[in-house]
Amino acid sequence: MSLRSDFTAFLNGNGELFSFSLRFFRHGLNPPFEFAEFIKQCYVIGYKSLPLIGLTAFIMGIVLTMQLRPSMADYGVESQLPAIVAIAVVREVGPVITALIFAGKIGSSIGAELGSMKVTEQIDAMEVSGTNPFKYLVVTRVLACTLMLPVLVMLGDAISLYGAYLGVNIHTNTSFNLFWTQVFDNLVFGDVLPAFIKSFFFGFAVGIIGCYKGYNSSRGTEGVGLSANSAVVVSSVMIFIIDLLAVQVTNIFDY
Amino acid sequence: MAKRLVNNVRLGAFVMAGLLFLVLLLYMIGRNRSLFGSNYILKARFENVQGLVPGNNVRYSGIQSGTVKTIEIVNDTSIEVSMLIDTKMEDIIRKDAIVSIGSDGLVGNKVVNIIPGEIHDDLAKEGDVLVSKNPIDTESILKTLSKTNNDVAEIVSGLKVTVERINNSTALWSILSEESLPEDLRQSAANIRKATSRAGLMADDLHVIVSDLKSGKGSAGILLRDTSFANNLNQAVLKMRQLSTNADKLSLQMTTLISGIQNDLNSGKGAASTILKDTSVVNKLNTSLDNIQRGTDGFNQNMEALKKSFLLRGYFKRQEKKRASSNP
Repeated sequence: MSLRSDFTAFLNGNGELFSFSLRFFRHGLNPPFEFAEFIKQCYVIGYKSLPLIGLTAFIMGIVLTMQLRPSMADYGVESQLPAIVAIAVVREVGPVITALIFAGKIGSSIGAELGSMKVTEQIDAMEVSGTNPFKYLVVTRVLACTLMLPVLVMLGDAISLYGAYLGVNIHTNTSFNLFWTQVFDNLVFGDVLPAFIKSFFFGFAVGIIGCYKGYNSSRGTEGVGLSANSAVVVSSVMIFIIDLLAVQVTNIFDY
Repeated sequence: MAKRLVNNVRLGAFVMAGLLFLVLLLYMIGRNRSLFGSNYILKARFENVQGLVPGNNVRYSGIQSGTVKTIEIVNDTSIEVSMLIDTKMEDIIRKDAIVSIGSDGLVGNKVVNIIPGEIHDDLAKEGDVLVSKNPIDTESILKTLSKTNNDVAEIVSGLKVTVERINNSTALWSILSEESLPEDLRQSAANIRKATSRAGLMADDLHVIVSDLKSGKGSAGILLRDTSFANNLNQAVLKMRQLSTNADKLSLQMTTLISGIQNDLNSGKGAASTILKDTSVVNKLNTSLDNIQRGTDGFNQNMEALKKSFLLRGYFKRQEKKRASSNP
């Protein structure tokens, strides 16, 4: 395969993903809605991910604090540690780490689940039985991902900051009250809102790529593994690309 | 079905927790930005705001009390800073409060400091422009420092000359090297000490005297403080004055009397003039007195004879006894 055909395949994939997204919006915005299935997916995607996300966020908070301390101490601004950790967590580390873990856990599971349904022709069977498989399988999952990731990010931020509080207290004795005062004194709307908004896009990207890869898998059980793998890889890369775009947009609005 | 309900409850709690944290975060930030709660605007003008930006903290005597809302350029030399101040500070910040720009730590954010004024002016109202103190920039500090350095250099050169002259002066050194000088000084000091102690004693005595005077003790005290004495004195003076007028009259009468007598004497009238002027009278008086002398001598002899005669002896004896009993 030549470079040219690679590039063509890449563009083809992009085009298909885009048309898949449009299909999602077309189906998602039109009734009937699969509400019960949506709630179930929210539970599986959101609630069930919380322990994993919570653990990683907690560790991230402690580690970030401990890693920053020596440099901060060098500049004699150790007292600003809560502030800088809070900004780092809320602006960047919280959303991106949460989204990456989320992509690893949910993107792969969606890709594998839909892929196996596809290769075992369950989707076709669903279509024959009169249920709209796209509405039932894809819209609910993508919507659940889009709405649950921001919630996970917020909880992850909270847990990270608690971890940071413990991290600060390893060396110094900072009261909980002082820590939160310093955190909130240094946070602005421009830190929280863009991070919150971009986490919707992260969630959407993870959901739509997982569904696209699974929905379009082929070549039997081998294809299931491949779609699960590529769902995680592509959505992870996509998260970084969206992050890059988000920071540009944020700077345009001068936050 | 029951499991699904439990799952839904869990999901609801999960979503609520996430949203609650978001709301808390936004609320806390908003509160720090003074977006919630009531506040009012105070203004101040500066020549240079040194990188102050909207959202920086405003502190009143070090207490967080608001944020910077806007920074506007009024003209080429003044910049107006509007500050959102908490309403609870409305009863505290006065019109004479001084606004300055400082920084939060050495490299921290800029902050606006409001310092209470000296005089207790009226309370500042919405939109008032407070007095501002322009921040000290390092350039002006350096300028002042270089001027100070120049002055110090001049002073030092002057001092150098003075010290050289002192070193070259023989008189001063001879005074300094004089061995007896300390002893003399010491004695002088001792003398001064004695004199002062005496002066102290004197002052004590004076104090006693003065306090006596005040309380009316002693003759001088009576003289100065006793009012009855003054009355008496007054009366005495009055009486003396009366006496002197009487004496005047008396002396007048005396002069008239004396002048009358003088006239009588000169003209030979009256007994006095006879006594004083007639010499024959004097001779007669002398002989008369001699005769009386002789007469009394004869009477004494007669009396002795009478005492011894038997007729009258008894009477005299009774007389003597009576005298002896009355004078034991």
